[in-house]
Amino acid sequence: MVTLTIDGRTVEVPEGTTVLRAAEKAGIKIPTLCDHPHLQPFGGCRVCVVEVEGLRTLQPSCTLPVSQNMVVRTNTPKVLAARKFVLTLIFSDRNHFCPYCQVSGGDCELQNTALDMGMTHWDYQPAWKPYPVDASHPNLVIDHNRCILCRRCVRACGELVGNYTLGIEERGANSMLIADTGVPFGESTCISCGTCSQVCPTGAIIDRRSAYQGLEKKTESTRTVCVQCSVGCGVEVLTRDNRMVRILGDWDATVNGGVICKLGRFDPLDDTRERVKTPMVRKDGKLQPASWDEALEVIAKTLKAHQGKGIAALVSPRLPAEAMTAFKSLFKEGLHAEMVTSMNGSGMASRLAAEAGVHENTLDVLHCADCVVTVGLDLYSDHQVLGFFIKRRLNTSTALVVMDSRENRFAEYARIALKPAAGKEAFALQALAAAIREGHNGTSGKFGELASKAGLSEAEIAKVADLIRKSGTTVFVYGEGLDENGAKALLEVVQQAGDNTKLVSAKGAANSLFAGQLGLSNSFNPKGCPTVFVALGDDEPSNALIQQLEGTEFLAVAASHVSRLTAMADVVLPVEMWAEQEGTYINLEGRVQKAHAALRPTEWVRSSTEAIMALGKLLDVPVSTDWQKAFQNHPSPVTLIGEPA
Amino acid sequence: MAKPKIASDWMAGCAGCHMSLLDIDERILQIAELVDIRATPITDLKEPDESGVDVGILEGGINNTANEEVAHKMRKRCKILVALGDCAVFGGVPAMRNFFKLDEVLKRAYIETESTDEEGKIPDDPELAKMTKVRAVHEVVPVDVFVPGCPPDPDVIFYVLSELAQGRIPELKDEKLHWH
Amino acid sequence: MVAQKITIEPVTRIEGHAKVTIHLDEAGKVRRAYMHVNEFRGFEKFCEGRMVFEMPYITPRICGICPVSHHLAASKAADIVLGCPPPRPASLLRELMHMGQIVQSHGMHFFELAGPDLLLGFDADPAIRNVIGVAQMNTELAVRAVQLRKWGQSIIAILGGKRVHPNFSVPGGVNKALSPAERDEILAGLDESIATIQTGIQIIRDWAEANMEDIRKFAVFPTGYLGLITPENGLELYDGEIRLIGQDGVQLERFSAQHYLDYIAEHVESWSYLKFPYYKKLGWPNGVYRVGPLGRLNIAEKIDTPLANQEFKRFKALNPGKPVENTLYYHYARMIECLFAAERVRFLLDDPDILSTDILNTRKEVKGEGVGVIEAPRGTLLHHYWTDQNGQIKKVNLIVSTGHNNWAMSEAVDQVAKTYITGPVTEGMLNRVEAAIRAYDPCLSCSTHAIGQMPIVLDVVDAEGNVVQTLRRD
Repeated sequence: MVTLTIDGRTVEVPEGTTVLRAAEKAGIKIPTLCDHPHLQPFGGCRVCVVEVEGLRTLQPSCTLPVSQNMVVRTNTPKVLAARKFVLTLIFSDRNHFCPYCQVSGGDCELQNTALDMGMTHWDYQPAWKPYPVDASHPNLVIDHNRCILCRRCVRACGELVGNYTLGIEERGANSMLIADTGVPFGESTCISCGTCSQVCPTGAIIDRRSAYQGLEKKTESTRTVCVQCSVGCGVEVLTRDNRMVRILGDWDATVNGGVICKLGRFDPLDDTRERVKTPMVRKDGKLQPASWDEALEVIAKTLKAHQGKGIAALVSPRLPAEAMTAFKSLFKEGLHAEMVTSMNGSGMASRLAAEAGVHENTLDVLHCADCVVTVGLDLYSDHQVLGFFIKRRLNTSTALVVMDSRENRFAEYARIALKPAAGKEAFALQALAAAIREGHNGTSGKFGELASKAGLSEAEIAKVADLIRKSGTTVFVYGEGLDENGAKALLEVVQQAGDNTKLVSAKGAANSLFAGQLGLSNSFNPKGCPTVFVALGDDEPSNALIQQLEGTEFLAVAASHVSRLTAMADVVLPVEMWAEQEGTYINLEGRVQKAHAALRPTEWVRSSTEAIMALGKLLDVPVSTDWQKAFQNHPSPVTLIGEPA
Repeated sequence: MAKPKIASDWMAGCAGCHMSLLDIDERILQIAELVDIRATPITDLKEPDESGVDVGILEGGINNTANEEVAHKMRKRCKILVALGDCAVFGGVPAMRNFFKLDEVLKRAYIETESTDEEGKIPDDPELAKMTKVRAVHEVVPVDVFVPGCPPDPDVIFYVLSELAQGRIPELKDEKLHWH
Repeated sequence: MVAQKITIEPVTRIEGHAKVTIHLDEAGKVRRAYMHVNEFRGFEKFCEGRMVFEMPYITPRICGICPVSHHLAASKAADIVLGCPPPRPASLLRELMHMGQIVQSHGMHFFELAGPDLLLGFDADPAIRNVIGVAQMNTELAVRAVQLRKWGQSIIAILGGKRVHPNFSVPGGVNKALSPAERDEILAGLDESIATIQTGIQIIRDWAEANMEDIRKFAVFPTGYLGLITPENGLELYDGEIRLIGQDGVQLERFSAQHYLDYIAEHVESWSYLKFPYYKKLGWPNGVYRVGPLGRLNIAEKIDTPLANQEFKRFKALNPGKPVENTLYYHYARMIECLFAAERVRFLLDDPDILSTDILNTRKEVKGEGVGVIEAPRGTLLHHYWTDQNGQIKKVNLIVSTGHNNWAMSEAVDQVAKTYITGPVTEGMLNRVEAAIRAYDPCLSCSTHAIGQMPIVLDVVDAEGNVVQTLRRD
C-alpha cells in the first residue's frame, strides 16, 4: 500500500494505482474527458492535470502512478488556469455547436466539464474548418466536428469488444478518427455493438434512433436483463413516457461489464411489429376483440373437452422462469398433455454433460483462457458478447480455433478454422480427442482416419491438438450446431484433456438452460394433437412452426405481437413483451438474474404467468410458479450462482 | 441617483434572446422600475444615446458590415457591454456559414434554389450591407459580460439585468450557466 | 430643391432588420420608397451535409419569435423524407404546441410591437412609444398582455422543456407525451387568455372605428391570398392543402405543399436580400399574393371554433363577398386568429388521444425528399429537403412566411410614403411608413435573418448622388 496526500487528505491505495483513482477513493473529483473507468488510462486530453509537489510541470493524474508520500493538489489557481486553457483549446480545435447538438444540456461530458469550470465563453474562436459527418452507418453517425480525439471509442472498440474497427489516422492536428483503413463507417468491419457511442464523451458518435429523444435527465432508467440470448447481459433501459428511448450496457453487470451487442442495444428499439392489444376470439371465421374472461373461457372449454385426446403445448424459452414453471405445471402435471415442450432447439448437449458429470464453467474462464475452441457456434452473430470476451484477448496470446461445418463468420478471427463436413463434427472431435491422447504429431494414423471421416486433414487436427497441449487453459465453447454424437465426442475431448480444459455452453435462448432443466427440450411435434396452446411471449414464430400448426383444429396463442401465428389462431391472449415483464432468468452459466419492467403494458395486456394462472384457475388445476423447486428436480450442468433478490 | 440606462440591439441572431428577455414576464415591469430602457429593437429610439448608456446588450454574432457598425457604436456608447446568447458569445448556429465561401452561400440562396426564377441574381444594391465572416462579438469589440445559452434562460437574464441595474457584475455559474 | 433620399434605419418593433429608403423628387414628392431587407445568413447552404433529423433543431435558430414553426415544418419535412408519418396523438401534440406559439406570437405582436401605435398613436413621442409606455398608460392591460404571452409560451415549455427553441418534435412524432397534470395546467389559464384576446379584439375594433380614414387610405391594394385550408374551407394553421385565391376572391389553385414548385416561384430584386414569391401562372409581378392573418381569413369561409367564427363573420362583412384589402386590418385578423388558436387549445385538450403515449413512429422508409408546410404566425412556411439514402442533407430550399408578403410590404411602404409624406417631413409620418411594415408583423430573421436598430438618417443628395446635407432623427 502507498500513502499519499491529495488536497490535504491522506489516502492509502495499492501500489500502481493512478493519482486519479486515488483521488476518487478520497472523494475528490478530478475532471477528465479521455479517461473511462472501464478503459486503460490514455492521458490524451490533459483536462485532469494536477500539481505534484517536487515536480516542475503539471501532471496528468490519469496516467501518473502514486508514490509514497506524494503530495498532490487538484485545485490550485495554476491547475484551474491550465484546465480552462486546455478546454478552450479543445473547443477551438473543431466545431462545437452546442445549441442544436443532441447531447447538449446534460449528456455532453465536454460541455458539463466546461460549465463546472464556470466557462462562459471561449477565449480562442475556432478556425471554422468544416469536418465531415459520416452517416453511412445504419445505427450510428460520426460527426467529426464534435470529435475531441479522446480515443475512448477506439479503446472501447479494441479493449472491450476486440473488434479494432476504429482507429486514428495521421498525427497531431491532422488526427482523424477512422474506421478500418479510412472506409465509410457503414462499409467497415463494425459490428454495430454501439459501445463507441456509449463511451463517447461528446456528440461525435450518436445513435440515430435516440437522437433528440430526450436527455438522460429526462428519462427513467431501469436495470434489467437482456433476453436476446442466454448470455444474460445486464442492460440499462432508458424510457420516457413509457417508451424505450435507448438501451445501454450496464457497467456494473457481472456478466458483461457494460458491453452489449447490436441485438441488445439496437434491435429492441427497431421492433416495429404490431402489438396484440386485446384478447381475440375467432367468430364467424374472423378474429374479433373479446374480454379476457371470454377468451380464457373458450380456451378452457376446449382444453377440458380434449383432455387426454391430444393436447400439445409449446412455450418460448425467452419467457421468465416463473411463466415456464406455471406453463409446465398446468399442461404437464395438471392436464397431462401429450406434448409439452419449448422452442428450445435440443438442449441435449447440456443434458448429456450433466449426465456425464462434466460440469460446465462460468464465463470467467473466457477472461483468462489461453486457447478457445468454438464448436458449432457462430459468435459473430449469436451470443456476440462471448465473442467480444474472446476477441479482446486475441492480441495478448490467446489462440482461437473455430470448428463449424456451417459458414461461420467468427472464423475470420481464428488462428485455425476447421470446417468439417456437415454432420461429421463428431468425427472431428473424436480425432481431436485421439490426437490429444496420443500426444504427438500423430503418426499412429488413428486420428488421421477419424479426421478424414470428418473431411479434414490429419495436419489440421494435429495443429489444434498441439495448440491445446501447449496452452495453459483451453476453453471449449459449444452451441446448438452439435448433434448428439458431436456432443458426446466433445465431452470426451474435455474429459481427455483434463483439468486445464473448460467447457462453456451457449445454450441458445435467454432461459434455455431453465427450459432444459424443466425437461422441455424435446422437439415439438403436434401431430395427432388437435388442440394446441402456444405461450409465445414476444418471440417470433418460425416458418417451420407455422407449417406444423397449419390445419390445427384449435390453436390458442399467448403473444405480445401480431404474427402469422396469431393470425391463424382461434384465440389470442395479449401478453407482455420483454421490457414489460418482471421475472427470473438463469443465464448459460447458471447465474440467477431478475428482469425488471422498464415499461408499463397497456390495460388489456397481462403477464404470461398471469395468463397461464388464470387458465389454471378456470380449469381447477393447481398451478405452481416455484421455479427453484422445479430446477432442483434434475441434474444440472451448472451450479446456480446467486439467489434472486 | 439617476436610473442606469440600458440599451440593446440584435445582430446576426434570431431575436430568441430578446424573446427570452420578454419571457421574464411580469418581472419586466420590475426591470422598468430599476432601469431606464433606452434604444432597443422593441422600442422606438433608434440608437443608444450619444451621451452614453450604462449597459449595452448585444444579441447575435457579427456577419456583415452593418453589424460591425452596430457593435462599434454600442461599444463606444456603453460602459458595460453584455454579449447575450450563444451567437453573440461564440457565433452560434449562423457561424455554420463560415464553412462555405460567401459567394457559394449567396449563389445557393439567390440563384440555385429550386423556387427562384430564371432571373435570380445576388442582390448588390449599395443600400445593402456587405457579408463578412460570422464572428462572435468579442472578436470585434471587447466584451465585459458573457451570457451564453440558446437562448439564455429568462431567470438568468433577469438575474443579469438586476445585478447590472444595481451596479454589480453578474457572475454566471451552476444552474445559471448553460450553453444550450 | 435637389432630389433627396430619406432613410429609415432600422425599422423598429418588427422582428429583424430592415431599412426603408424614400426617394423624393425635386418638388419634395415621393418618387418611390423601398423596403430593404438587409441581412442574409444562408441556412439553405450551410445545412447541407447535416443529418435530416437535426433540421428540427437547427432551423428554429432562424427565428426566435416563431421557432416552433420551423421546428414543426422541419419535422414534417423529415417525416416525409424518412417515411415515418407520425401517429395521430403526435400530430395533436404538435398542433397544441403550434397553437401555443400562435397565441404568444400574435399576442406579443398586438400588444408589444404594434400596440404602441394603436394605443398611444402614430404621432406619440418615440421615447415612450413602446411597451413600457403602454404599461404606464394602462398597467392592468399590460400585465394581462404579458400573461397572455406567458400562457402561450408555457404550452411550448410544458411540451418542449423551454419556451424558445424547444426540444420536442422529431421525425415520426414527438419525444414527450402530455401528462394529465400538464393538461390541467394549460386548461387553468385558458379562460383568462380568451378574455384577454377578446379585450384585444375590442381594442382593435374601437380603434378601427375611430381611425376609419387611416384604414381606408393606408396601403389598400388588390393581391392574391394564400394559405392552408381545411377540406371544408375552414381556417387551418397546422396542416392541410394550400389554397390560393385571386384578388376577386375566386379560387385559383388548391394544391398539396409537396407540389409547391409547380405554383410558386421567387423573384430577386437587387435592392433586398429578401426574395419575392409569386404565383407562377400569372408571373411576376402580376402573381403577387399576401399571406398571414389577413390572407388566411380571406381564403377561409369559416372558422371551426365558435367565438372566433362569430368574429370572423364580422370581419367578412367588412367587404362582403370580396377579400379585405386594407393593410391595417391585419391587426384585426391577427387577433381573430389568436382567439381561434386559444379555442383550438381547448378542443385539442379535450381529445381523448391527447394524453396518449403513442407518440412516435419508428418505422422508416427513406424517400429522400420531402416538403414540410405549416402556417406560421406570419404565413405559409415551406421547408423542402433532399437527402441521400443515409438521411444526410443534400439540398435545402426554404420559403419563409414573411417572404410571401415581401412585395406587399414594399407596396405598402411605397403607398404609405406617397400618401402621408407631404410637406415637411415629421417623425410621425416616418413612423406611419414603419407601421405599414409592422402591420405585416414581418419576421425578417426568418426570411433571411436580420436585426434592427439605427437612427433614421435623412440624407439630402444632389442630382449626382452626393450627400449635401444629413438630417438625423433621434
